[in-house]
Amino acid sequence: MTTTSIPPHHTSIPPQSMRAALAPVLAAAVDADPSLIALGADGRALFTQVLEQDPRRYVDAGIAEANLVGVAAGLARAGLRPVAAAMAPFLVRRANEQIRLDVCVPGLPVVLLGVGGGFGYGPLGPTHHAPDDITLMSAMPGMRVYCPADAADAVSVVRTLLADPSGPAYVRLSARPDPVLPAAASESDPRGPRLLRDGDDVLVLATGRCVAEALDAADGLAADGVAAAVASVTTLHPFPATAIRELAGRRPLVVTAAESLAPGGLGPSTAEALGRRGPAVISLHTDHRYPPVAAHQDLLRFYGVDGQSIRSAVLSYRNRKTREA
Amino acid sequence: MSNVDELARRARLRVVELAARKAIHLGPALSLIDVLVALYTSILRRDPARPDWPDRDLLVLSKGHGVYGLYAVLAELGVLTQDLNELPGHPSDGIPGIEAATGALGHGLSLASGLALGARLAGKDRRVYVITGDGELDEGSNWEAAQFAAHHRLGNLVAVVDRNRLQQEGDTEEVCALEPLADKWRAFGWRVGESDGHDITAVADAVTALEAGDGPAVLIAHTTKGRGVPFAEGDPAWHMGELDAAQRRIAVAALTATA
Repeated sequence: MTTTSIPPHHTSIPPQSMRAALAPVLAAAVDADPSLIALGADGRALFTQVLEQDPRRYVDAGIAEANLVGVAAGLARAGLRPVAAAMAPFLVRRANEQIRLDVCVPGLPVVLLGVGGGFGYGPLGPTHHAPDDITLMSAMPGMRVYCPADAADAVSVVRTLLADPSGPAYVRLSARPDPVLPAAASESDPRGPRLLRDGDDVLVLATGRCVAEALDAADGLAADGVAAAVASVTTLHPFPATAIRELAGRRPLVVTAAESLAPGGLGPSTAEALGRRGPAVISLHTDHRYPPVAAHQDLLRFYGVDGQSIRSAVLSYRNRKTREA
Repeated sequence: MSNVDELARRARLRVVELAARKAIHLGPALSLIDVLVALYTSILRRDPARPDWPDRDLLVLSKGHGVYGLYAVLAELGVLTQDLNELPGHPSDGIPGIEAATGALGHGLSLASGLALGARLAGKDRRVYVITGDGELDEGSNWEAAQFAAHHRLGNLVAVVDRNRLQQEGDTEEVCALEPLADKWRAFGWRVGESDGHDITAVADAVTALEAGDGPAVLIAHTTKGRGVPFAEGDPAWHMGELDAAQRRIAVAALTATA
């Protein structure tokens, strides 16, 4: 597989790491709120500044995700507010039962940070891929699920969550630096969808890393004479259905793009929100094919959720409609 | 018969009456009743009038399938007043005296470690007790928690293993051997005590002795599954079961004869 160059409109700003951006935010939050407690299973990178500040506020579980979540649940029952980090593939799968029974069923205020959701670990291979994290977490009772689009969006989500101690939450974080998006992606409330670019012909809804891809697709579509609106959706559960309906408006087509298996994800939630009378919905999402050894960007192309795939999906739909007309 | 033995006997009668109404985890409930009585009458700092007293000691029943034993003891202590038959087959939130929903095996020791660490971080002089089954120790998450609790020197955490040597599928040593169990705990950094799990005074003394040291401690309480009901004792078939009228009469007679 060929290596894809970084899309042109992102070249001016170097990619940024969510973990680096979150470290000072988490340290400040722990410092300001004595009820917060940081925990990690191989998740120390997020809490380097907490450790520098006061090592007693960080609990290391070692490489033991099930125990990490059980301990977090015990701490929450003791009146603390745990923020627990681990690598996403092991957090959401190995500790799945602890997340459901110990945290979600009693509705405890535990914030779970999954590092390297989706295909963020790229060439490390399928052991480290977590295209199923959104699906698994969306099946958890009462779980709020967030998939930020870039480092600033991750900061916005985590700040919002730490200010609101109600119930469990999962945040998918990237493993490597991401493209930096237009400021509008990150500055407004992450609980609703955010329109990053307007256009009347099609609405592209994207989440996480795919928001950057959607913006690339919109650039390409403009050259094709298609005006594409692009909105980022950071909050997947509870799904902002009303806002999505308003955003879709009168546009004839909505394309969703997510680095995620379909169930519980952006595509099905959008289709459900828009209903049978709404615009056509094309859901681009990943599947269960065994991946090639490839960089993150190339895996997005392999699974058909990169900018070129979004652009092709829009053009194919329009060509079909033109032929039918 | 001492007061505590009488309390345990009455709790067993409650379990038998429940098992005469529906299938319950009979054997595991009966094996842990004496341990529960020892903890509730001699060890746990609690306020009988206020089960939710915020400074109380905490007990997590990791082997949640033994919950009818816990319900029966809590009923004898006056903490639970509702019809036990209406309560769920595993500990759930919202029931007086129940500290945490449990029953999926291998969760309790992690939860209890978090509770113990939380008490320490809050500066509370609170102790946390967790009862695990022995078969339950097959679950690897227990050993993650054991390593964690020792590393963090959780001196306010005490585990009791209900060592009845039977899991649903048979003898623990034939299913997937646990022995040398005490050595395993020691190797993980825990202080270990052993006692007859049906001698209420011995259990209380052993736990008290363990609490004198530093770091987490575990009591291996040697018990008999189905204890007190002759035909159920040591028979894995009574891991779960319902008593018919004749079996109920035999069970009640056996428990009444010991009065």
